[in-house]
Amino acid sequence: MVPDPNYICSVEKPEDFDSFWEDVTKTLGNIDIDISCVLDDFRSTEDISVYEVFFNSLDNIRVSGWYAVPSKYSGKLPGLMLVPGYQSDPPIPREWAKKGYACLSVNPRGKVRSRSQFDPGYPGLLTYGIVDRNTYSYRGFYCDAWRGIDFLLDRDEVDSERIAVTGSSQGGGLTITTAAMRKEVKAAAAGAPYLCGYMDAIELTHTYPYEEINDYLRSNPGSRKTVEDTLSYFDGISFADRIKCPIIVNIGLQDNVCPPETGYALFNQIGSKNKKLYEYDGHGHEAGRYIHSRIVDEFLEEHLGQE
Amino acid sequence: MSKNRPSDFGSFWYTVGKELAEIPVAPEVESIPMRSTDFADLYGVRLSSIGPYRLFGYLSIPKGEGPFPVIYYVPKNASVLEIIPQGTSNEIRSRYITFSLACRGMRNSDSPYAAMYPGQLTDGLESHETYVYRSIVADTVRGADYIMTRPEVDKNRVAAWGNDNAILAAALHDSITHIVSTPAYLFDPIESVSKTDSYPLAEFGDYIRSNPSNSDMARSILEYFNLRWHAQSITANTLIMADHEDGIYSTETLSDLKELIPSEITLHGSERSSFKDGLFAENWITSEMFGKEVSPIVPEHWR
Repeated sequence: MVPDPNYICSVEKPEDFDSFWEDVTKTLGNIDIDISCVLDDFRSTEDISVYEVFFNSLDNIRVSGWYAVPSKYSGKLPGLMLVPGYQSDPPIPREWAKKGYACLSVNPRGKVRSRSQFDPGYPGLLTYGIVDRNTYSYRGFYCDAWRGIDFLLDRDEVDSERIAVTGSSQGGGLTITTAAMRKEVKAAAAGAPYLCGYMDAIELTHTYPYEEINDYLRSNPGSRKTVEDTLSYFDGISFADRIKCPIIVNIGLQDNVCPPETGYALFNQIGSKNKKLYEYDGHGHEAGRYIHSRIVDEFLEEHLGQE
Repeated sequence: MSKNRPSDFGSFWYTVGKELAEIPVAPEVESIPMRSTDFADLYGVRLSSIGPYRLFGYLSIPKGEGPFPVIYYVPKNASVLEIIPQGTSNEIRSRYITFSLACRGMRNSDSPYAAMYPGQLTDGLESHETYVYRSIVADTVRGADYIMTRPEVDKNRVAAWGNDNAILAAALHDSITHIVSTPAYLFDPIESVSKTDSYPLAEFGDYIRSNPSNSDMARSILEYFNLRWHAQSITANTLIMADHEDGIYSTETLSDLKELIPSEITLHGSERSSFKDGLFAENWITSEMFGKEVSPIVPEHWR
């Protein structure tokens, strides 16, 4: 199966897309972030200090994260936000701190350590509240990631002019929305982006997690139009034209989770003039990670390396 | 390499098995129509393990007349329980009974014990009696116990699929006929810790660094779980999915494990592609379960 690089997804950006998200971010901005950042001796090493982080997000949900910084540094550090996959547990980003970043690994609502107030489960998260854009799970989930940027901006050791975001799969999707919504993001690297072209993805592949939507549609006949309408506000492709920062995207042409067609469709809609797509033939959902991780390192170094 | 097989290794695991045998499986099975399809029905299953402790699993049974081969997705070292692993074609549920089990601490099996990730691997590592992994192995074995109670199961074709726990399940439960395992943290765990700062192995490193006075005890406890000492009990046909050549559990490192397993074994080194590695595993299990003339059921983009 050879994916078409000119594939166009069916999603149409709603006319009130910007005003919808402006209202949401305004509501988010009115919530006191109330950061807690406590050194975790158990996870810290001689070279890396690890902190357990909590902050408030939309609906006053307490969101957790791991924050890792080099134990010794001079001047300000570049800030990096690492956003997680769908079902994976957010990692402690010691590897990124070793490379010289002040790195926040954010755990949006429903994930381990962030699930005491909201926990739709897995499977479940992808369709929770999907009948209404104002109740859909990702309304808050996206905000949790965006708030991670506020956390980095709050840190004295972080250079607010050098902040980037990266992740793969759902982390790729969150990278897209964060780069679109937070102008403080100076560079973004998105891998195998999920949450892009949802309604096409559920036809192009029949694997979880996208299969959750097919389960939902089968169980709720007649709901397709409502689901399409809601998802159009959350589709990464609807966010893409807002991205203005340098960005790289990598996709696997045999991706069995996030169809490469949706990756192409997303990339073609990205508004940044400084964008590059890396296509990995012979690779699945890991999207050439072994080769591509070096490219991400070099890309971030290029855009965040100089103080 | 580790050379310290505990002197009471056999009695340690005999006691776990005896403890488990005294607890009825006590399954409660509930249909989940939303995740059932034209080709398979899905059920949520609750069952008991040592403690006693109630566990949860997803059981999918193909429509039609069995018996059917089984893929038992053993508990993971992660919080989320999936019906089938992410990226697996949903249509495999038309061919196999699948059973995925959340051990204690994972979602759906997290009351009263909710594990953290990272965190689970070192919970209670202070003593043999308190180390949580003893119970997690019991949970894993209990999953195999449950599968064998199902009348739809073809008892000649029962695969354990997953991480290190797939090997432990087969070593401790003789109903497992096939293994697909990607070892991640229990083959010579202490020796492997020094080679990486990545989780999950780094959990052991964090523990030893933070508890230097207890490090000898931790090392001795982990030997009971070392795949090296379980290998000789394996009778199932086995596929070991190794890391690529630069990884911790490369084919070179796992060649020792291969030598120790007496049954038919294939050791596959990662090709650094989830597509190529995944296809290799699907081809292997299909060939083992149905013969070489049958094609595997794979996702659209792998065809």
